[in-house]
Amino acid sequence: MKAEPGIADADGFYQAWVAAHEGLSDAESADLDARLVLLLANQVSDMKVLLDCIAAARAARL
Amino acid sequence: MSATEVWKFAPAYELPSWPFVAPPDLAARERRRYPVVIAGGGLAGLTLACDLALRGIEVVLLDEDDTVGVRGASSRGICYAQKSLEIFDRLGIYEKIREKGITWSVGRTFSGADEIYSFNLKDESLSEQPPFINLQQFYLEWFLVERIRDIAPDAIRWKSKVVGVEHGNDGAVVEVETPAGAYALQAEWFVDATGANSRIRDELGLDAHASRHTDRWCISDVRFKKPFAVERWTWIDAPFNEGRGVWQHLMADAVWRLDYQMDQHADPESISRPEVAGARLRAQLGPDVEFEFVWIGPYQYRDHLLDTFRLGRTIFIGDAAHVVCPFGARGGNNGIQDAANLGWKLALVLQGRAGETLIDSYHHERHAAAVENLRVTRRTARFLAPRSAAEHRLRRAVIALARTHEFARRLANTGRMAQANAYPPSPWAPAGARSLQNVTLEGTTVMRVLRDGTRFIGLWIGASGAQAAALEGELGARWPLAVHAVAADSALARHVGAGSGSFVLVRPDAYIAAQIDDAAPANIEAALRCALASERA
Repeated sequence: MKAEPGIADADGFYQAWVAAHEGLSDAESADLDARLVLLLANQVSDMKVLLDCIAAARAARL
Repeated sequence: MSATEVWKFAPAYELPSWPFVAPPDLAARERRRYPVVIAGGGLAGLTLACDLALRGIEVVLLDEDDTVGVRGASSRGICYAQKSLEIFDRLGIYEKIREKGITWSVGRTFSGADEIYSFNLKDESLSEQPPFINLQQFYLEWFLVERIRDIAPDAIRWKSKVVGVEHGNDGAVVEVETPAGAYALQAEWFVDATGANSRIRDELGLDAHASRHTDRWCISDVRFKKPFAVERWTWIDAPFNEGRGVWQHLMADAVWRLDYQMDQHADPESISRPEVAGARLRAQLGPDVEFEFVWIGPYQYRDHLLDTFRLGRTIFIGDAAHVVCPFGARGGNNGIQDAANLGWKLALVLQGRAGETLIDSYHHERHAAAVENLRVTRRTARFLAPRSAAEHRLRRAVIALARTHEFARRLANTGRMAQANAYPPSPWAPAGARSLQNVTLEGTTVMRVLRDGTRFIGLWIGASGAQAAALEGELGARWPLAVHAVAADSALARHVGAGSGSFVLVRPDAYIAAQIDDAAPANIEAALRCALASERA
């Protein structure tokens, strides 16, 4: 799993992510994120990276 | 309409029955010793008995009943996979299955009214047998019984209940109860094929690690006149079943199996009442289609797996050893494939042509297959029955994207159809073993060649017929081996992925034991020694 920053326009990405959730209910937002995860997972494709990302996401729980 | 509708039932299937015949053991003064005794006449037990009888091994199969099929003639398995069909071709009952059954290869998965995934298993097949044939399980058992009776008329002993087994180092003593009294016989090898609730297994104190699933379904086997496609159709969330799963499959005698996922807290008695099952069918078929019930059966499923499939001279096959969730036809097919894995090994060990440790390879290979089938079917079960709001959300994401994105279709999991499991590396197959399809071989097929005795076949790629005959002459007297020349540009050579000059060693169960780059006799003998657990120099 890549640990160093990979998104050049980090603020731009965050803005687009937030914008995608505008006007959605909590449930619709959660559905959107689930679809987004699937689309991104297919971009990544590498099973080891995917499993590392799942573990890292779970470990970072607030 | 439904208030006044009368629900019709088809007449029950007429199953055959066979008479109890008092065996000589009842009157004998001394206990006879038999090479193989099998308890249980289901798919696995009958397949093994048929396989061994054809190999010339004296086998006794004890069945407590006098017919085939249990608890409602239509219940239990319906889908028979290519590898099983190939085995039945070798055993000589494939033509009957093909004539009676329903051949199919296309599966479709729906969400609501939309198709979101499909497959055609024919695309990857080179075999003479199709990817799948659907047939009520009792027909298959019936064909096996008839075949066994042709080869070995006394092999099956009906109304013969195993009431005790003494497991010893050199075999077992099996106590049998019959209508004419009790007797005991000795078995060099004893095979438990008595199914999921095996008492023989439980009395040994073996833990099968059973777990029960809460997902609940209700089968309706139904006859109606409506032209549905002869394909496997599955709905993840059918609009005509309150957004739950539905399976739709055709069997023999124009009987459709419609399997409905129910609320997991539903009462099994009430969901299987004809008026309740009838209302579900009305919702699916529409108002004008006439139908009659053949069978209605509610069920929950469970799974289990024994730690070891061999305990000394006692061997567990089929559901006695493993039960998986019912998705993808991985139950009955694996009982059949257990039997085909074990048959030739027992035969060669009993004939003194293989070392006894070869029987350990049965456990090694079929336990690994069961582990894989358990993992695959549990994943399907989890997709079909999400356990939380979050799991529903993930599945919703898959379904939503599957409508527009090819990659997401592959995540829609309504069952991954049974395949011949590959076996992991072992002392008997250092590179692992994989199944060879029933492809054409010298004007006949692999399975028909394998009918001829209990022998390995060597496929010598790019050799001439004369070279193959010479090599068989050199090795055939010392080893159970027939050698065939295979053209380097043939479908068979491509399927195996073997280049010119190489030698592919195929076991009697049509698994590839070894692929040898240099077909020198010493290399082939080394591979045979390994595959047979032979101590011969």
